[in-house]
Amino acid sequence: MRLCFSGANALVLGGSADLGLELAGLLIQEKIFPLLTFRNKAGEEKIHENLKSYQGLYQVAYCDFGKKETIESLFEKVNHRLDYMIDIAHGDFERLVCSADSSDVDAYFSENISARAEIIQRTGRAMLCNQKGRMIFISSAAVEKPNPGQGFYAASKLAAEALYRNVGLEFRDRGITAIILRPGYIDAGRGRRYLQSRQLLSSDGVEKNKILTTKEMAETILFFLSDSAAGFTTSAITIGEHLKKIE
Amino acid sequence: MNIFERVKKIVADILDIEEQKILSWTYLIRELGAESIDLLELAVSLNAGFQIEIRDDDIFLRKLRRYLEEAKEKGLDQHSYLAGQYPFLSNSRIGEILKELKGGPVLTIEDLVSYISYYQNK
Repeated sequence: MRLCFSGANALVLGGSADLGLELAGLLIQEKIFPLLTFRNKAGEEKIHENLKSYQGLYQVAYCDFGKKETIESLFEKVNHRLDYMIDIAHGDFERLVCSADSSDVDAYFSENISARAEIIQRTGRAMLCNQKGRMIFISSAAVEKPNPGQGFYAASKLAAEALYRNVGLEFRDRGITAIILRPGYIDAGRGRRYLQSRQLLSSDGVEKNKILTTKEMAETILFFLSDSAAGFTTSAITIGEHLKKIE
Repeated sequence: MNIFERVKKIVADILDIEEQKILSWTYLIRELGAESIDLLELAVSLNAGFQIEIRDDDIFLRKLRRYLEEAKEKGLDQHSYLAGQYPFLSNSRIGEILKELKGGPVLTIEDLVSYISYYQNK
């Protein structure tokens, strides 16, 4: 099946993540110009290293959810040219609920909920100018399958999901849609570290064929960005061989 | 095209109504039926059209009643208090607003024009 895309510009929050990079390659191949965010020098270098064969076909921007001014400068760069926004960025904070330092909790929620709300707001306003747009939030199956130590992570993901659901609902008559993808285990980044730490990459607990690859996940996102998937809005879709579900 | 003409065109496009129905003293919410999502779209369009920062709460007088309550609680003159919060509104317009409160949302097209004119020249 050949996918069609009515947009030309994408913002990838968390662009230096393995998934962001895989997705960027696919977007470029579809003639969509991605703006990839990074939050440190290493992330910026990783983007350029991985996308060196696509020079001039993508752009990068510094964005740290903990620094409000970087959100502002990011959207100056976006300058209303925004058809797609894919939100992969999310801070890691693995603590038992009753053992976390309250100031760390405040900072974590501030970055991952309040800052994200501002980004969604700015994205929505930019898309409203063009009367079209698609937002995809990469949530996590952790929101429906609790694990010790992932309470804050799941709580912030659920809060972000609520924001995306609402923006999809509020803008549905203005050509702007939003969906939420909840992948299960992905063999990349935080997922890979988690699986390795629990030796699940072999055959114990989670079988290898039930772990999503970065490529599979990026292709899934690409499909949901395509015109073929335009009918999906405000939905949360759980992805993973062992976690199939649509809400 | 002056500011009023441009605002009128933007409002007419968003609310899908004829421009002739829009006068400077027309109430945006009370008469034209603008809803929250229309106001949001209007703010975005005014921002893009006039290249000025639009603060939704200010231009749409969203906190008007809260400011009036605050003035009352602090024992301040309501007219002066509103003038401080909304520097783009003239004294005569604030006077009108205070008289019109019982009729519903007081926001008019002219209030939008005043906001744009004030911040464009600032």
